[in-house]
Amino acid sequence: MKRAAWLGGAVLLVAIAWHTDASPARLVRGLPWMGDFVRRMVPPDPAVLPAALKGAVGTIEIALLGTVLAAALAVPLGFLSARNVASPAVYYAVRTALNFFRSIDTLVYALLFVAAVGLGPFPGMLAVIAYTTTSLAKLYSETIEGIDPGPVDAIRATGALRLQVLRFGVLPQVLPLFLSYVLYRFESNVRAATVLGFVGAGGIGLYLQTYLRMIDYRAASTVLLVTVVMVMVVDFASARIRARLV
Amino acid sequence: MIEVRGLRVVLPPATVALYGVDLVVEPGEFVVIIGRSGAGKTTFLRAINRLIEPTAGTVRVAGQAVTGADPSVLRQVRRQIGMIFQQFNLVRRASVLENVLAGRLGYVPEWPSLVGRFPPRDRALARECLAQVGLAEFADRRADTLSGGEQQRVAIARALAQEPRVILADEPTASLDPALAGSIMDILARINRERRLTLVVSQHQLETALEYGTRIVGFRAGHVVFDGAPATVSPAVAQAIYGEEAA
Repeated sequence: MKRAAWLGGAVLLVAIAWHTDASPARLVRGLPWMGDFVRRMVPPDPAVLPAALKGAVGTIEIALLGTVLAAALAVPLGFLSARNVASPAVYYAVRTALNFFRSIDTLVYALLFVAAVGLGPFPGMLAVIAYTTTSLAKLYSETIEGIDPGPVDAIRATGALRLQVLRFGVLPQVLPLFLSYVLYRFESNVRAATVLGFVGAGGIGLYLQTYLRMIDYRAASTVLLVTVVMVMVVDFASARIRARLV
Repeated sequence: MIEVRGLRVVLPPATVALYGVDLVVEPGEFVVIIGRSGAGKTTFLRAINRLIEPTAGTVRVAGQAVTGADPSVLRQVRRQIGMIFQQFNLVRRASVLENVLAGRLGYVPEWPSLVGRFPPRDRALARECLAQVGLAEFADRRADTLSGGEQQRVAIARALAQEPRVILADEPTASLDPALAGSIMDILARINRERRLTLVVSQHQLETALEYGTRIVGFRAGHVVFDGAPATVSPAVAQAIYGEEAA
């Protein structure tokens, strides 16, 4: 039985390789072209550094404002999709809606919002908000479901009203974890926002795409390097803050 | 002060925790509930302020009906009933003073409290209650930096901040060293004496129960099987409550 499963899996993977025309030989044949590509990227062109930095700032702006707004919007949704807080009807309705919207990636949202509101960082930000709100709401709700019920009982016993119970019994238990998830999403969103420019939704991706289209590989490599440094700096800073939170 | 009639509690899916319990507690009594674990002590205490919803029967506290009370009445009743838990149930990341202030939630206006604003009178009262359990200088410490005994004293201060008429305590000393257990029971006895508060305390230690209680109520398998003065708890009574293995 177990052997049959392994064998079946192997057959499936081979079939996929065949179906997608994946072949090591093709990769090897392409290697010289990749070498040529890399050669044409060095040395990076310092003249486009100001433009690349401008793009990087734009990317961080999209990720930062988008993440912060999503972090706030996700709070009520997180409570409404937590089994131990919301009534069953609300819980199932909100959770189903969240699952639906979360299955759409940030880049797809960006395409939709560019079509709706036009080019620029604004549709990118909306895309970040749309995806991050749903993914944070899910993380929030799981955190809320994992809390110690003891302090909640104690607050209820004082005669506290429903919102007071959430504010004093639940929120202090979950807030540090919420912040940690928000920082983590911010890191991911900086990475996600680097490609939003490809679909016209602002940020550093716009510059990368432009230089690649102009076949200016040295300028493109400057943009790539700035992207890498930006992501590394954000990851490092965010990880440091997160380590202090929990 | 507390009037329980025909209290029946069925816990989901179908466990009968209490089979129609009747109990009347007079003002100023220090009632200690004894019984084996699973006898229904915790369920009884939690049904009095409806942390657990009774299946049938009525509960009245200080003349007000608890069972069937709508949310606003329930708020008024609950704020008169302080509750102390075996696991202290403090909000661990909050400061000691914030934990005690939570005892005022049944009184203060809702919206300001949600942003952490409490009237000065309530803040002063919280500090006063903290002083009464000897922890005034701990006000700004995070609750989880305190020892178990100190945390339970904070929990008592939180209950006192409610200016309650009744205090329910569910095994308040079961998580503490025996030495600390005595000091917690001493504080409860002092509250009972000085404030004339009515206390209902569950206690798994028979000796402690007999030392502190003015009245002993024995639970067994969801029934009250004994109700009387500590002096009348004979070995035969203890056996009826605890079963064969109690000597």
